Formats: sequence, structure tokens, C-alpha cells
Amino acid sequence: MTSLLRRRTKPESADAPVISMVDVGMTYPNGKVALADVNVAIPAGDFVFLVGPSGAGKSTFIRLLIREQLPTSGNVRVAARDLLRMRRGQVPGLRRRIGIVFQDFRLLPSKTVWENVAFALEVTGVPGIQIRRRVPQLLNLVGLHEHAHHLPTQLSGGEQQRVAIARALVHDPAILIADEPTGNLDPVTSWEIIQLLIQINELGTTVLMATHNQEIVNAMRRRVLALEGGHLVRDEGTASYEREY
Amino acid sequence: MPFVRFIGFSVVRAWQGFWRNAMMSLAATATVVLMLVLLSGLFIVITGLNAGLAFIESKVAVTARLEDDLTSTARDRLIAEVEAMPGVASVAYVSPAAAMERLEQSYREIGRTLDLGDPDSNITLFASLEISLADPDASSAVSSAVADSEDVDRVLTKQAEYDTLLGIINVIRTVGFVGITLVGLTVLFMIINTIRIAVYSRANEIEIMRLVGATDSFIRWPFILEGVLCGLIGAVVTIVLVAAVWDPIQPAMVTIFQMPTAVSTQFLTTLSLLLFGVGLGLGALGSWISVRSYLSATR
Repeated sequence: MTSLLRRRTKPESADAPVISMVDVGMTYPNGKVALADVNVAIPAGDFVFLVGPSGAGKSTFIRLLIREQLPTSGNVRVAARDLLRMRRGQVPGLRRRIGIVFQDFRLLPSKTVWENVAFALEVTGVPGIQIRRRVPQLLNLVGLHEHAHHLPTQLSGGEQQRVAIARALVHDPAILIADEPTGNLDPVTSWEIIQLLIQINELGTTVLMATHNQEIVNAMRRRVLALEGGHLVRDEGTASYEREY
Repeated sequence: MPFVRFIGFSVVRAWQGFWRNAMMSLAATATVVLMLVLLSGLFIVITGLNAGLAFIESKVAVTARLEDDLTSTARDRLIAEVEAMPGVASVAYVSPAAAMERLEQSYREIGRTLDLGDPDSNITLFASLEISLADPDASSAVSSAVADSEDVDRVLTKQAEYDTLLGIINVIRTVGFVGITLVGLTVLFMIINTIRIAVYSRANEIEIMRLVGATDSFIRWPFILEGVLCGLIGAVVTIVLVAAVWDPIQPAMVTIFQMPTAVSTQFLTTLSLLLFGVGLGLGALGSWISVRSYLSATR
């Protein structure tokens, strides 16, 4: 595994958090307040859970990190970049520093496993020779080398999520954001995915995982950010998570 | 190398996209062909009529019939005066004998003999000045100036024929322009819709491309090239169609419109370049509008 993802012996900037939100607020044009006065600093190499009920602001939180939206107040920095001052042309560069996986995998059904992973490299102008070297490495990492020529529909949910993780890692990102990655999976498969995320985190990649899965959060004993009604109501290291909804 | 990779990626994706959405792509291409065929027809007719116009312009524009009793001194003075007029290219004197010879020649050309009745009737034709114009628009001014001379009996011009042909050309140009514009807008609409459908059908791909850090160029250009492909394939099909019927058209351009042969042989090349340009331009414009509106709406 160490040969596949570069082990980050030093964070990107020694002391600076890899994710930082200062007094962040986000109000949509219809007046709905999605986030209010959120202050968060996540050091490089952390594994953090983002929890909260539906509509608490988790998706908005993630959209701000990948600069799909800009906050209406406050400041967001990701991977040493000030997202508010960032020009539009610099956004692709930011997104190559962030890998993202979703609950619904978002694989291209007409492409094989190999092609789905290679696609993320092709569309960013990576030479073919590098693609042919990189894709098998990533498929080995997620344990899907044998399924390289299968279509997503021929895979189980857990395998599809592994493909999505491999795709998210193509640019060796500093941060991996997982939005409900186990939401569509059975408990056993969910734990396999979590083990994979832990391995990736141990190599130095910061992992931010949004989830509703109380069992996983409580078992992992990692830092938990809890959102409710757009407010950050809890930010504790090695916390447990009690679902009250 | 990165640019070459980008071009290769865009072309391959455009080609795949064209055939993935084959029905719509071919429908858009068919409308491009329809429009370019109309454009070709209009271009052929307008070019032919312009050649006819140039032919008339090159002929004698003004003929001044001289008084019978004009002395050679007066005639030479008149010629000098006319040559000095603005817009006049040259002046040629046609004697009565030369005019008669021309008349007889024109009868011989159609296989007849000029019959003047009694050989002793001493019928003669008028002497005249044939005035070529450097500027066809000077016809009226030259005609009236020459007519004012007391040495001139009557003035004949080609102005009426010239004006009639110019009128016809202007009507055809206007009707053709309106027709081509309407068909052009239809083609543009078809291409915009074709590419829009292609873009929407690949919304997932576009989203993934954005999330993994693809630049706007990598997202945009394959779609623009897909529209260009509709335009270029339409242009090639139209050129093949025009080339197929070119053999009967080319002699007609020479005989009906008096188009010089040298111009008619280059005509197909000129027309092909025009069709390529219009096809490519419409394809690129339509797809650019479509992709731009989608990307700015979803960013």
C-alpha cells in the first residue's frame, strides 16, 4: 500500500490546518440558513466524522469545501488555499487535492471498473503511460484488480464503493471527503469500507466522513463534528454519537 | 504534448458523442445539408447573374448616332470631347459602311442574307460613336452630355437592360438572404438542441469531471467539436452532392450567364470553401451557445 499512496510524513504546511472554516455562514437566496457561525479547524492527517440529521447542513458543509458554493459570510481555507479569493480557473487544481466519494457511488455505468478510474485521469490530461501505470495500482489498493474489466452493474455495492474510492484517489489527494459512503451498504460491507478509509488515513490523507451510522462513529472513537440546524453544536475528539432523530 | 493530448481527447470524445446520440446528430446534419444545398443554389444563381452583369458592363454602354452631314473635322472634335468626359473608357467611330458590314455579318451568322430590295436604292446606315464606359454608373451623365451635342442625332444606351438585370439580382439576393437566414436559424436551433441533449445525457460524466478536477476546456471542447462535426459532415455531403451535378451546371454557367470559363472552373473550389466555412461556423456557434448556457447554469 505504501507504494501506491505517498505516505505524508509531513503535513502540507506544518501547523496550518488542512481544512479551516472561520465564522462561516451560508444562507440560500430563499432565506434558508444552511450554516451559521461555523468555526472548524482540521489538522492534516485527521480522521473526522461529520454527523447530524438530514437538513443539518452536512451537504452544504461539503459543497463549501469543494468550492461548489461560496459562503455568504466567513472564510474557508482548504489545502492552503483561500476559497473566497480563488479564481474560477484555479478550482480544478483545488479539486485535484480533494478526493470525494458519495453514497450512490456515481460510477459511469457504460464504463468498466478500469475505465471509470482511468476516466478521472484522462479528463485531467494525464498521459496514457501514467494512466496505465496508475490505474492497476489503485485497483490493487482497493482490492479490485480481478474485476478491472467488469461493469459497475456486475459488482456488489461494496465493490462499487471501492471503485469510487479508487477514483477519488487518482490524484493522491490531501483530503478524502466521504459523503455517507456506507449509506447503501450492509453492516459487514460498511466495515470493510471503513477499514479501507482507515488505511488511507494512516498513510496521511485527511479523511472527513459524513455519516448517520451511529455504530461506526461510536466504535471508531474519532473526532466528531455535529451539525444541527446549520450550527456546529459539538466538536469533540474521540466522541460518541447518539442519534436522537 | 499536453495540448496534443487535449486535442486527441476532445476529438475522440466528440466522435464517440456524435454516434452515441446518432439519431439527433444525423437529424442536425441533415438540416445542415438542406441549408447548404439552398446556399449553394443561391450562390450559383447570384454568381451567374453577376457574371452576366459584368458581361453587359463590358459591352458598348452608349451609342451616339451622328448627323448625316457631319464633317470629319467636326467628328474628330466630337470624339475628343467625348473621350475627355468623366467615366468614359474609350470611343470608337463606326462608319456607315462598317455598320452595314456588321449588319450583313449578323445575318450571315444566322444563315440568312440581308435583302435591301432595289440594289440602286442607295440605302445607307448612320455613322455612330460607340462609347465604352469605365464606370457603368456614368451612363446617364455621358448619355445626356452626348445628346446635347448638335452633331448627334440620337443616343442609345444599354442602361435599361443593365437596370433590369441589376433589379433581378437585387430581388434574388434579398429573397435568398431572407431564405438562407431562416434556414440558418433553423439549423442553429437544431444544433443547439442536439448538443443540449448530448450535454444533458452526459450530466453525470460532467459532474464527475468537475469533481475530479477537469478544467472547463476538457469539459467544453468535446461538445463544441461534436457540433462542428455535424457542420463539417453536412458540408462534405453537400459538396459531394454539388460535385455530382456540377458537369451539367458548369457549361450552363458559361453559356447562360456568360461566365468566363476560368471563373467557372474555380467556382467549385470557392463554393466548397464557402460551404466548409458556413458548416463549421454554424456547428461551432450552435454547440458553443448550448454548452455555455448549460455550464454557466450548473456551475
